Amino acid sequence: MAPQQSIDPQMAAFLEEEKRKAMFNEVVAKLADVCFDKCVSKPGASLDRYESACLSQCALRYLETGQLIMSRISGGSMN
Amino acid sequence: MDSQNSELVKQQVQAELANAYAQEFFTTVREKCFAKCITKPGPSLSSGEATCVSRCTDRYVDATRMISGVVLQAYSSGQGGV
Repeated sequence: MAPQQSIDPQMAAFLEEEKRKAMFNEVVAKLADVCFDKCVSKPGASLDRYESACLSQCALRYLETGQLIMSRISGGSMN
Repeated sequence: MDSQNSELVKQQVQAELANAYAQEFFTTVREKCFAKCITKPGPSLSSGEATCVSRCTDRYVDATRMISGVVLQAYSSGQGGV
């Protein structure tokens, strides 16, 4: 049997932090992907206030949708 | 592993991650902006199409920045559940 090897705790902490950052970036990238399509139909010289509001709301609703689905499939009130 | 080696490894990991992220970002923007701006591919990119692509790219960067802020705020106020 191979001997147990342990990662230096400082390196482990570093990797945890990088993993956290990568996961955050992945969430943001997915939200931007979905919400850009929903909110910005014709790219202008800047994001107008409707587009900005739409993007912000879209992101939050998407996250909420995920929460709702998660609680549903993990045995929330199933009718 | 000595600390100097550790530092080099950390820098390499961060560089690789940054690279992968940039590559993915580029691929996404290209796909989106091509779809939005080049509806009927012609014999060359018209100036209208080029302008559209430039704006689209800049707006996508803006949108990403904006959403980044929204998500950061949502996480820190406990709205997570991703």
